[in-house]
This record gives sequence, structure tokens and C-alpha cells, in this order.
Amino acid sequence: MSTDPQPPAPPTTVTLTIDGKSATVPKGTNVLEAAKTVGVEISAFCYHPGLSIAACCRQCLVAVEKNPKLQPSCQQIVGDGMVVHTTDAQSTAARKQMLEFTLVNHPIDCPICDKAGECTLQKHYFEHDNAASRIDTPKVEKPKVVDLGPHIVLDAERCILCTRCIRVCDEVAGQHQLEMKQRGDHEEITTAPGQKLDNPYSLNTVDVCPVGALTSKDFRFTMRAWELDATPSVCQGCATGCNVELHHKNDRVWRLVPRHNPAVNGHWMCDEGRFTYHDLREQRLAVATVGGLPASWDKAVKAAADKLATPLKDAGSVAVVLSAQASNEDNYALAKLAAAWKAKLFVTARPDRGDRADGKLRVADVNPNRAGVAAIAADAGDLAALEAGVNTGALRAVVFLGHDLPVSETALRRLRELDCVVALATHERGPVKAAGIALPIAAWTETHGSVTNADGRIQRMHAAVAAPGQAVPGWEAVARLAQATSAKVAWTTARDVWKDMTAAVKPWAGTPWGREVRPLALRFAGSRG
Amino acid sequence: MASHAHDDHEPTTTGPKVLATSTVSPKVRTIAVVRPSEQETSYLAATKAGLGITLRHFAKNLFGRRRTVDQLNKGEHPVPTTAFQKALSVVSPINEIETIQYPEEKAVYPERFRGLHRLMQRDDGQVRCVACMCCPTVCPAHCITIIPEQTDDNGIEKRPAVFEIDELRCVVCGLCVEACPCDAIRMDSGTHAKPVEERADAVMTKDKLIAVSKDNGKNPTSIATQGGVGPNWREGR
Repeated sequence: MSTDPQPPAPPTTVTLTIDGKSATVPKGTNVLEAAKTVGVEISAFCYHPGLSIAACCRQCLVAVEKNPKLQPSCQQIVGDGMVVHTTDAQSTAARKQMLEFTLVNHPIDCPICDKAGECTLQKHYFEHDNAASRIDTPKVEKPKVVDLGPHIVLDAERCILCTRCIRVCDEVAGQHQLEMKQRGDHEEITTAPGQKLDNPYSLNTVDVCPVGALTSKDFRFTMRAWELDATPSVCQGCATGCNVELHHKNDRVWRLVPRHNPAVNGHWMCDEGRFTYHDLREQRLAVATVGGLPASWDKAVKAAADKLATPLKDAGSVAVVLSAQASNEDNYALAKLAAAWKAKLFVTARPDRGDRADGKLRVADVNPNRAGVAAIAADAGDLAALEAGVNTGALRAVVFLGHDLPVSETALRRLRELDCVVALATHERGPVKAAGIALPIAAWTETHGSVTNADGRIQRMHAAVAAPGQAVPGWEAVARLAQATSAKVAWTTARDVWKDMTAAVKPWAGTPWGREVRPLALRFAGSRG
Repeated sequence: MASHAHDDHEPTTTGPKVLATSTVSPKVRTIAVVRPSEQETSYLAATKAGLGITLRHFAKNLFGRRRTVDQLNKGEHPVPTTAFQKALSVVSPINEIETIQYPEEKAVYPERFRGLHRLMQRDDGQVRCVACMCCPTVCPAHCITIIPEQTDDNGIEKRPAVFEIDELRCVVCGLCVEACPCDAIRMDSGTHAKPVEERADAVMTKDKLIAVSKDNGKNPTSIATQGGVGPNWREGR
């Protein structure tokens, strides 16, 4: 055994020069990422920060001093003292020529291509070439409108063979479903033998596709990218809480795309989560109802207060049910009202779906805010306790949030027989239909709020579209109900609820509300690539 | 050395007569106000001049030459015949009456007149529009509504299910025609939007926009190639 002193730890950062600017980056970074840190954008098609390096598009060639040939900057790892040039004549010409090669067989059917406006090829063309085609030979014709699987259509002519989609299937979904076939200018993307492009993460291939080769059947031909506005939010599909962008226009959400967050979802999200926006337009409760008939807010809230008057005299006979499907703010508001009423608290949630869990992004718990409700009302009863209370008749009034009340048929029947059942719900479904009084509340895309994912991370959602009809944010519905029952519970904004909540819920003390985010027009946001 | 006019500008000595100047601020002055004379305030001279103009128009409208709508459309002028007309033509060579009895008579619009929109058709009768959304994007009046749909056509997969232009909102700027990559929308129909009794009637639907060509004797097809190489570029695939 040597007794020599340990050699000094090797430096973990590397300093290099890119276009005359000094960049200090962690060891092992590639030149393309290092250039980004000093504001130098190098064009690329096949490189994606969330995928392995293929270096097959050659669009990111740069000149590295003391290196006889141009190097693909996505594959070139930085070295100490390295000097990189991206604006010199040689590498600029090389990238321009690579772009011209890429465009040789590209159909340039931008008017009917769904990617137009957020297309990496368009973006690089404007930056690099911006010249008319010099090719006068016919373009190679390839299959169009190829059905690759349940969600995706391929236009092989538009494909520039970057292989990003193949790598998404292999590395994100872990399923080898896409391959290259043929060679040269007849090379094209196809499904692997005996396979379809059908995996829980398949639509990420559409996001990463730098051109319009892969399009989502769900979004195809509905909206142009430049017409949409983007608002950041959080997927409500499960307890992972993938960060998403809502792309909306005309008070309607048209698609969800993942938003990069290395701590939660990386660059990806699952297909099931993407389709959750459809539910925002189906069976919505848009007006308050009393006894199944539409009523004004005033009338509905007064009817609720009248019915609650007698049960509230015996505090233990009123059940207030929080929902793991609703936001922190709505749940906290209702919990505070329950405390003012001295009512019993319960929590409802959708049952776990074990088949979903895959060790990646999808988990069995399909409730976006189970952890949040647990933090707000730690000692709340579960559904079994609620069921027991309803069955024994100990509970004479039930006020519940959401439309998920997975209890037994007997309990549901007993619930219907109760004189006072008040629902605060986004959708007119299940127990909401049976509730004597239903108050319409805004869904997750329609109001500001937050949810807490399985790791206890609180994430903000921002209002993007208007709530239907007379629906108001859940906390506001609670405040109206509180006023009618003379309970001292009131807020004027979601931020007020947040301040109140972070002061009351110990683990969240001091958590900042964060800045307000306005919708960003994709028209000016450039390519999402 | 050149000097500018204002360089050697002398302070003006004309202007209202100054009666007094403020001691606190010399710019504040009392001036003598010049009132119009009684002759001027009677407006007799002006009335006389105005009556002269009216009489001249009266005489011109009674005895002057009238340019017919045919002459107008051909760019011709009527020949002066009477002594009065000859005298008038000395004053101005185009001193003539240009009143057109609309709607019995109609002037032909110039060739590049931007008028009612029309939608062009392909050789097979399908609408040329591929619902690319360039025209509603560029439209400053937001008068174009397009809802796209998918077609089975292998070459051009997209077409408008709904294509509507609200002619009341349209500002006739022609940017939609400029923006169209397919020569699908034109404003060369040679006519203008029809008067309507209800606002909804001013909304031109896809069928109405296609029919504009036929109604105004225009060729509904274009010589521009669509999708690359000729109108049937995907034939035989």
C-alpha cells in the first residue's frame, strides 16, 4: 500500500474559447452545449439534449483549432484550452452545404405541413441559406400519409433522417419500434419488423421531429403553430406532475407538450397525459344546479346554506370531502371552511392503476395532488370512513369536491337519499348528478393554482383559458358558500389563498408564489425544435 | 460659403401694433386688435363670387357636354358642338359633366381593381386552397375564417372544410392574395361586394366564393402549378 498523499482532485470544469468568448463548463459537456452558455447557437437536427448522440446530420460542424477536419459539435467533448470557431468561412460553408443536401429531397410543402412555424429546418434555412434551390432534378418520391400507429402519421418525404424518433423509442420508451430502411436518398424511416409505433411515450417522437415528418393524429390539421399561445402548467394525469405547456387559442386548449424540467420529467411526457385536455370540454358543469335544475349562484348558495343549517348545529354530522384531483388552493379553501364549520374531513381519490407504473414517468397513482391533500389535511378520514359514516347514518350532510367518489353502490344510494349533498365540481358526472346542489368550478387550465406531486414538489399552474359558463375558481366557490353560512372564510385572489395556505401548512412555510406568467405567442417564439 | 436663408433672418417689424409690454415678462404684451371692416363683415363680395360659381355650374349642367358611360369606359371625351361648349372647352379641355346614372349605367373598374374575393379551382374542380392559414394570419381585419380538414387526396392532404370571408369586415387591402402560396384566392373578379340587408348575408362561404368566378365570367382555374410540377403531379402513384 502506498502512503503517498492523494493526488489533487482533477478539475471538474473545463475552460475553452468559442468564437473568441471564454466558456467555462463542466467536464464532459459537448461543444454545442458549451457554445449555448456563451450565447452561440450552433444549428443541429439530430442532436437533442435528452437523447444519445448520433452525429448523423452533420449540421453542427464547427472548426476546432489544431484539428485538420471539421468536427460535429454535438459529439465533440470540450477540452481545456480548446479553441472553437463557428463563424469562420470553412465551417459556415460546410453547414450551409449540409443544409442544401438536406433540402435536396425535402418537398418544401410548408403550406400544408403542420410543423411550419415551429420547424427546425425552416429556422436553419432562414439563418443559413435563404437562397433558391439549385436542384433541377426531380425529387425522390417516398410514401406519404403512412399510418405508423394509433397516434402518429409519417410523411417520409419530409423526413430528414435525423433518427431522433428512433432514439426516443429506444431510450425513452425502451421499445425498439422504429428503424431505417434502404440507403442513400431512398433511405426512410419505417416501423421495425412486426412492430407498430405504439408505446406510452410515442408522441414524444412528434415533438422531437425537427420537420413535419411525424405528425400527431390528434393535433394534425387543427391549428397552425403560429396561431397558438403557450402557457406553462402541470399535467394532471398522474402523481408525477410532468411539466407541460398548454397550447391554446380561442379559449380552448389544442394540445399539451412537455416542458423541460430535469427534476421531474426531463424533456418528456406520456401520451395518456397529452390527451387529458380533451376532458376539459366534455360534460362540464357550467351552471349551478339545485335539485338537478339550473339556478343562479345566489340561489344555489342560499339553498345550500338553508339545507346545511340544521346539520351544522351538530358539527359531527357534516362531512367535507377533499379531492386528490383538485389543486392545493381548492382543497385548502374547503379544509378551512370545514374547520370553521367544525365538520369532519375526508379525502377522496381515484383508485390506483397498477398497470400504469413503468418505472419511468408513469406511476400507478392517477391523482395529481394526493401529496398536497395529505399535507393540508393530515388527519382526514379516508373513503372507507366516509362510507361507514354514510351507511350508519352518522353523516347527515356531505359537501364534496370533484366528481370522483369511488364508494360502494350501497353508500352511493345512501348518499343520494341524504337531504343535503353539495358538490363543488368541474364536471357533471357520477355523484355530481345525484347531488342536490352542484356548484360549478373552474378546471386546472382555467385558474391559477398549484399541485403537489408524489415527490412533494409544489408546482404552479397558470390560467390559460376562460372557465365555461358561470364556473368560478374552487376557492371562490368555497368563499361564497362560507359567506352564505356566515363562516369567516374569504379570499379575493388565488395568491391570497396561497399566502394563507403557506402560513398554515407547516412543510410549505415560506414557499414563494412565483411570478405570474402570461401566454407566449408561439408565432414569435421561434422553433421549438 | 453658402448661407441658409434663416441664417441672416432679421426680426420681423410687421405684426400687430404693441400697446404695452409687461415689465415682469417682456413676452407678455398688449396688442391692438385689428377688426374686419364693415364692408368685409357684410360678406356681399363673397356671396357674389359664390353665386357666380353656382351659376357657372348651372350653365355647364344645362348646356355643357356630357361624357357618356361608354366614352368613360373607352377613355374618350365628347366633342364640343355648341358655341357655349366650345367656349367652355377653352377654359379647360375636360370641362364636361361626368355624372353616371348608377345603377343603370356602370363604369368598368380598372384591370388591377381589388374587388370581391374569389376562390380558384384546380383542374378537377376541387378548391385550390390547402388551408395553410396564411391569409387569416396576415389579414389585418380578421375577416377570414378557415377550418381545415383532411382529404384522401394523396398529394394535397389538407383542404378547407369551412372558408368564410366577412366582406363587411374586409378592408380590401389585398394582403390575402399576396400571402396565398397556391394562387387560391384572388380579388380580380372586377366587381365589389354586394349590398346586403343583413350582416350575415355579407359572409361569403366557400361555395359562394367559388361561384364568383362563374358569375363574373372569370376563368376559375390557374396556370400556376400546385405542389411542384404541374396540376397532376402525383398522377399514377
